[in-house]
Amino acid sequence: MHSLEDVQIGDNIGPEPLFLSKDRVRAYCNAAGLAGVPRFTDDELARKEGLPGMITPGNMSAALVGKLVTDWAQPMNGRLVRLGTTYRSPVLPEHHLTLQGFVTQVDHGERTAELDIWIENEDGDRLVTATATVKFPPKA
Amino acid sequence: MATILDLHSHSEASEDSRAPVEAYLNWIRLRRQERPVDGIVLTEHRQFNRDGDYRALEDKFGIMILKATEAETDYGHMLVFGVNEDILHRFDFANVRIPAQELIDEVARMGGVVVPCHPGRPTVGLCEHYASRPPLQNVVAVELLNGGSRRGEDERTAELVAKYGYRATGGSDSHLVSLIGVCATRFEADIRDIEGLVRELKSGRYEPVDFRAPRKAVPRAIPEQTA
Repeated sequence: MHSLEDVQIGDNIGPEPLFLSKDRVRAYCNAAGLAGVPRFTDDELARKEGLPGMITPGNMSAALVGKLVTDWAQPMNGRLVRLGTTYRSPVLPEHHLTLQGFVTQVDHGERTAELDIWIENEDGDRLVTATATVKFPPKA
Repeated sequence: MATILDLHSHSEASEDSRAPVEAYLNWIRLRRQERPVDGIVLTEHRQFNRDGDYRALEDKFGIMILKATEAETDYGHMLVFGVNEDILHRFDFANVRIPAQELIDEVARMGGVVVPCHPGRPTVGLCEHYASRPPLQNVVAVELLNGGSRRGEDERTAELVAKYGYRATGGSDSHLVSLIGVCATRFEADIRDIEGLVRELKSGRYEPVDFRAPRKAVPRAIPEQTA
């Protein structure tokens, strides 16, 4: 696809398989200033908080969803201008996840597309759901 | 003629949804082969969207739009169908601890019907409350199929239905455009308005239907390649 004119309601975004290792989550926490938050870095301390183990920070999940959107939009010179996320269940590291979604609305006047995106686990449970708005350049 | 309705959906009138009603209808039109619903019921959280007027959209798309409420009670979340002035005067839907038994009995007395939704969901579902408190009386039906359920939740509801003999409905609980109509309820009768829906919910002549597509296999990411 090259431009908004090629985008249609119902187009798939992804699916993109993803395996989040604990080391990768810890690396994110180090970079994001979250290394001191045990629920994101340490299984045992996370369990003491009532969690099943260390969990992925919400900001990291949002970043992964955002990257799926920008990877889709960038070849068309589209820009992610809004991302809204809902955290339904903890995203646990060491699981096989899938990021995917759909184009749900296209506005040729505003040059925007609305997307539904989610992260699901091996059982098909949607752990994080999101909507995003992508803005496209004026028609050439 | 049978009628298939998605009995549980949230538009942008609910604070946790950004789905415009028109986008829902567009999506249904796009996916009608897979999700042949005749209409949707907007069940906004903790409110009845009295001012929402969707008649022009109904005409444009040929899809029925009815309005109801998802109320929060001391036994979890419940869909309230047939909301009228008497019910609005009697209950403050912004209250998140509405007494469930009062809601069921009073709504029935005033011409509506209450259907507990996602009963198998932790904290906000009927099953968890039944584990520690007496069962509610006069429950007509519960939502057996919920499009937002996680693994095990609908199965827990199936056990509840079997134990108490409740009738069963289905709804998508959609907060995203692309999920509208994934679960619904097939009524034997022709339904054209909210009064007809309430009448049929009380009649028991319906069943939940599941339009979720089988999950497509996605190749698994290899950990070393995702760093």
